[in-house]
Amino acid sequence: MATDLEQRYDQRLTRYVTALRNEKADCVPIRPFLAEFCAKYTGYTAQEVTHDFTKAFDAVLRTATDFDFDAMVGNMVYVWTGLTQAIGLEYYAIPGIDVEPDTGFQYREPSEERAYMKPEEYDALIEDPTGFLLNVWLPRVSRDVVPIGAPSTFRSNLSFLKGGMAMMQYFAGFGTQAQRMRTECGMPGAIAGILKAPFDILADKLRGFLGLTMDLFERPDKVRAACEALMPHLTHVALSGADPAKQVPITIWMHRGCTPFISPAQFDGLYWATLKPIIEEIWSRGHQVLFYAEGNWDRHLPAFAELPEASIIYHVDMGDILEAHRVLGHKFCISGGMPNFLLSYGTPDQVRERCKALIERVGRDGGYVMDASAIVQNDARVENVRAMVEATREYGTY
Amino acid sequence: MDQPTEIHREPGVCIPWQEKLKELPEIRGDADLCRRVWEDVDSLAYTYIWHCLLSF
Repeated sequence: MATDLEQRYDQRLTRYVTALRNEKADCVPIRPFLAEFCAKYTGYTAQEVTHDFTKAFDAVLRTATDFDFDAMVGNMVYVWTGLTQAIGLEYYAIPGIDVEPDTGFQYREPSEERAYMKPEEYDALIEDPTGFLLNVWLPRVSRDVVPIGAPSTFRSNLSFLKGGMAMMQYFAGFGTQAQRMRTECGMPGAIAGILKAPFDILADKLRGFLGLTMDLFERPDKVRAACEALMPHLTHVALSGADPAKQVPITIWMHRGCTPFISPAQFDGLYWATLKPIIEEIWSRGHQVLFYAEGNWDRHLPAFAELPEASIIYHVDMGDILEAHRVLGHKFCISGGMPNFLLSYGTPDQVRERCKALIERVGRDGGYVMDASAIVQNDARVENVRAMVEATREYGTY
Repeated sequence: MDQPTEIHREPGVCIPWQEKLKELPEIRGDADLCRRVWEDVDSLAYTYIWHCLLSF
């Protein structure tokens, strides 16, 4: 049995990696990013898999056993709220505490006035990003951490103690999870390493999107300098978590750097100008980057086409996958294209028809990975996910 | 208290080994071992800070 699973692991990994390199494997690989769906399938609540990562790992293993995917993420409910609670992070709504037990965790962006970084603090961030995060940002995002100069407190000290140990425990758990996925399910891990664009992280966690859009007009040079100051750190973090075997990609979670959130000129001169060199640096180290392009990034496809061949995998969410394939398909693997609303509200026959169309029009020459458009939560119907797998196997053989 | 703007922190580093070295008496044994272990553990703190920002 172990030998069979090892063979299955090798077959799946080869199929997946071949497609990632924009080549033709034996068939179209299937790599859904399943989050709270695994909880639903295995009988857990969203609270259980979000707050107890051992249940999340268990849910993935049981789902991996029952579905013929080619790669999965060890835990796509990545934000373990036991950890965020230990640190005292205030920006998450936790299932079972702040929201209903079967609702996924939520990110709560503060108002413009309560942004975690003030507009006059750009120079401090630019001068010393790591020091700024520790000394200024963490005390603002944590209910427990006190700022530099304030009297030390028991809870502030505990935030670092508990947070540090919990993070070590969680990250070490991913190593064990990857090994169990391989030996118990024959399932490769889909991704390794995290990247975010400098602009996106400024918007998400520092200035807030509203504050940052005002900064683009009031202090554009500071925004540019801040993005440049973040670049080497974001590159370092991405590479430090990358797959040593250089088989599966680092993932960039792309948020609000596309039009119409910002103008085409702001995209070209800021977002892309400070992201493209990171991608090129990562590629020079032999790692692909999966562009998880949340939203619609069609306007920017020509910019992405500037990148070296096979350096990225382009994942389509709300964009036009046929257009993405037309502009990028000659250089890069494409993934996605199965609308989440179809998995939630459609029928198995509709899912099968969509799979057939995607394979015929995007995957016919290889370089395509079947996936939902976005992360699959507990609103997806089990029979529709099963139909996606069965139809891809039926229509996706080369 | 830390004076963050006085130290240029490279990616992966919170307190550079050269800064720590100034606090130590002359190292009698394997200085490279001391440097390597300091930097390895220091990088864990860097990981904590940046993953708080990026992952959580």
